[in-house]
Amino acid sequence: MLLQLRNIFKWVNSGGQRIFLLKDINIEVEEGEFISIMGPSGSGKSTLLNVIGMLDTFDEGEYDFLHESVHTLKEKHRATLYKEYIGFVFQSYHLLDELTVQENLEMPLLYKKYKNSERKAMVADMLDRFNIVGKKDLFPAQLSGGQQQLVGVARALIANPKLILADEPTGNLNSAQSEEIMELFKKLNSEGVTIIQVTHSEKNAAYGSRIINLLDGRRI
Amino acid sequence: MFKNYIKITWRNLWKDKTNTFLNMVGLSVAFAVVLLLGMTVWFQLSFDNFHENGDSIYKLVRTQQTPRGPEAGTTQPAPLSISLKAEVPGVKRITRYLQDGTLALYGDKEVDMDVVWVDQDFFSMFSFPMLSGIKTEPLGDLSSVVLTKKAATKLFGTTDAIGKTINLLVNGTEKPFTVSAISEDIVAQSNLDFEIAARFESHGDYMDNKEEWNSQYHDVYVELDKGVSASTFENRSRSFVDLHYKESVDKLKRDGAVADIDGRFINLKLVSLKDVHFTSLKNGYIDISRSMPYLILGVAFLILFIACVNYMNMAIAKSAKRLMEIGIRKTLGAQKKQLFFQFWSESLFVFLVSLSIGILLCLLFLNNFKVMFDTNFSSEMISNPFILLGLLGIVILTTIIVGGYPALLMSRLGTIQSLKGKLESTGSNKVRDVLMVFQFGIAILLIIGTLVLWSQIEYMRNKDLGYNKEQVVSFPLNGKRNSNDVVELMRDELKGNPDIISISGADSNLGLGKDGSRSSSKLGFEYKGRSVSTNFLVVDYDYVPTLGIEMVMGRNFESAADSLGVIINEAMAKQLGEEDPLTVQLEINDGIYYPVLGVVKDYNFNDLDRAIEPITFYMSREWGLTYAYAKVSPSHMASSFEALELIWKKLEPNAEFLGSFLDENVDRTFKREKTMAKMISSGSIIAIILSCMGLFAMSMLIVSQRTKEIGIRKVVGASVFSVTYILIKDFLKLVLIAFLIASPIAWWVMKEWLENYVYRINLSIWFFVVSGILAVFIAFVTIGARTIKAARQNPVKSLRTE
Repeated sequence: MLLQLRNIFKWVNSGGQRIFLLKDINIEVEEGEFISIMGPSGSGKSTLLNVIGMLDTFDEGEYDFLHESVHTLKEKHRATLYKEYIGFVFQSYHLLDELTVQENLEMPLLYKKYKNSERKAMVADMLDRFNIVGKKDLFPAQLSGGQQQLVGVARALIANPKLILADEPTGNLNSAQSEEIMELFKKLNSEGVTIIQVTHSEKNAAYGSRIINLLDGRRI
Repeated sequence: MFKNYIKITWRNLWKDKTNTFLNMVGLSVAFAVVLLLGMTVWFQLSFDNFHENGDSIYKLVRTQQTPRGPEAGTTQPAPLSISLKAEVPGVKRITRYLQDGTLALYGDKEVDMDVVWVDQDFFSMFSFPMLSGIKTEPLGDLSSVVLTKKAATKLFGTTDAIGKTINLLVNGTEKPFTVSAISEDIVAQSNLDFEIAARFESHGDYMDNKEEWNSQYHDVYVELDKGVSASTFENRSRSFVDLHYKESVDKLKRDGAVADIDGRFINLKLVSLKDVHFTSLKNGYIDISRSMPYLILGVAFLILFIACVNYMNMAIAKSAKRLMEIGIRKTLGAQKKQLFFQFWSESLFVFLVSLSIGILLCLLFLNNFKVMFDTNFSSEMISNPFILLGLLGIVILTTIIVGGYPALLMSRLGTIQSLKGKLESTGSNKVRDVLMVFQFGIAILLIIGTLVLWSQIEYMRNKDLGYNKEQVVSFPLNGKRNSNDVVELMRDELKGNPDIISISGADSNLGLGKDGSRSSSKLGFEYKGRSVSTNFLVVDYDYVPTLGIEMVMGRNFESAADSLGVIINEAMAKQLGEEDPLTVQLEINDGIYYPVLGVVKDYNFNDLDRAIEPITFYMSREWGLTYAYAKVSPSHMASSFEALELIWKKLEPNAEFLGSFLDENVDRTFKREKTMAKMISSGSIIAIILSCMGLFAMSMLIVSQRTKEIGIRKVVGASVFSVTYILIKDFLKLVLIAFLIASPIAWWVMKEWLENYVYRINLSIWFFVVSGILAVFIAFVTIGARTIKAARQNPVKSLRTE
């Protein structure tokens, strides 16, 4: 088992009232799964993804990731855990505008303290794998949306994570580009990477092996 | 990793050129200012620090309680030093110190030199490095002299002068001296300055004053034994004072002087050599104050502070634009300290570049600065390792604080928040506002200071001093001829020149002449059973009309027979307390009575920080004159000046003509004030420019952050004016708060400063009003154009970007 959420609650206090963002969520994810989280706006999809990605905290419940109890870890240890095993893909790509494609890909490796030669090799490998060698010295602004998201996925993959978390990865793309990214996800999944994506589109959800539906912070 | 940071830093800075430029310019200028002012201060504070025995050397000051209040003076009588050493234990070495200008003659060369007349111990007490000759006790013989390198080169054309004989003009006759040693030139940080050092006993006045306890005309420096403190010495000297000053003490008692808290009337006090440069003897007290150098240091740090505030504010404001980057880096595994280090190293980079530019600027403007502010430090100080280390320390410290604070704020942000691009900005806005209020407060403080300072200087320059300063030229009688004869000869020679109205002379200058020397004589005597004291001026016939001083009673000196009479001023007449001062006979010397011939209106013969004191004019050929005065007609002033110089050259071909108009002389006495005013006004200009740069950058950022708000307001019908008003209001509010805080501080500081002057301007409300309006106006101009432009923009455009 890759991860397990048990009775997760998350809330905010607003005007003396407790508003639940997540309510009693129980999820088990096995390695090699491709899960789509669906639901209307405000149903807590992104919050759930952020909790799984350890970017956000929760107020109650237990979360085990690879047999580590996340709820007992300090922030620093959580960071080492997620930077080791999780890659993120965002709707608006979130590439650093000041860095070239190559440098953007290199950045996660810097925080993992890889040696210079190793970094160069891994970046070259990734550029090759995604067919973007010719664009390595371009800045994000010089790429199309689809290409930027391609770089985003490549960056998420570069340190060989076990899990990829994608928050509406095709939200800013046209249909052709969407399809390309989803095909890529499918291919990665077949190579053994676990993927959890948040999506609005039934079509994209169909690429996954399992769908989790949320409404008002609850699984339905 | 580091390469990556540098890359990001560079590209970020490059992308935001305006801000980067403003920041770098601001910081560079601030660093240059800190460097220059810091060196000035260091120079000031290191005065007289180079003497090895400096810690045990003191200058002797005599304080006494008179009926008019306490008085203090550094001049001592000739027999004092020998008796002091013999009678008071703990004195290791002692030297008398008399500064004088004398004509030095060698071959056919005649050079006017600064001579100090000192005792044998002088060169063992003070550490003046010797170049050649007898290095220990070079003044063993009464006829020995020590020359500085510069003086030797002036006189001999070479420093190879040991054993050569020169003549010094002593009491009008040439006296031979042998050069026993050549010293290095005196460094600028020395209060003891000379070109020639000779034995005190060889001075012209020595024989007459050898045993004269009432004639005080030179300074005394004392070196105490190891372990003897100044206060120990001061206590031990009491019985010495009681013995030797008994007569004076009795007179003071009789005239109704009030004893000090220790029940004493006359005291000998010591001022440590290192404090001498900062000592003033105002109102009879020894006042040691280093506030001037610290004030300069304060201005320097205020300017650095302003530049740092700019940097900090911009860094915080700009962080909004970099939220995304922070979020991405965090999701990719960056830790807080890594983010902190990244943002901090960006600041470090900016600071180091600015520091380099600052050092360049400093070197570039070093000479201008030295001329403008009349300081004399050397550029070698920049390469002094202590200063370099200190500077580096300051830079690193400021970088840690100034770069660290925004870096800390940024590294602390939550991942999700920053990814969403939302910044809770209420907290940091408060910090920003406080910093800006501070910044503008400083600028306003400096503006007020500048206005008041210049007004006071202008007031002093334009004040009617009671004599004609525009039309009178004074020049030192520094030649070989008898001074009275020279004045007489000049009068004859210039009789035919209609532009030269009259010529006279006196034994003291008014203001500060080109020769840079000042002197005053005071005299005390008995009148009707009480002591009176007066300034004493030896004059030539036409002194009163030449200077245009008004006679209020009696008559001027008219013939040689009047040398037995005196002329006094109103203050003196008041002191004498007679209904008709013209009936008074003054017993200045024992048994000889001098009738008062006339009374002149009070005029400011002293600087304007002192009230007009009593003065007595005395006309005698015996005492000699030291300055000549010539009144010229208002037309052709330049050619009249040349005519004077020409005649002088004819009469005294070897002496330099150092004439100048009295208004220039008076201006010269404000040198200190002018330097201070220049420093503060340059400081305030820089402070204002830097503050405006910060304000400008800030307004740009805020306008860009509020684009959406502007758009919405316009869509619902706000006018350009009201939008502009909303945007500018916040800034103007800050400037106004700054004004309210700064004004009372400025008022207090300036009031304290003006207290130093007997003749001073009123601290009117207008200084503050003008400064406030100026600050608001400057702020408005700085942010106005950008803001109006933003307010005029089409709302559709600004809303679309959201």
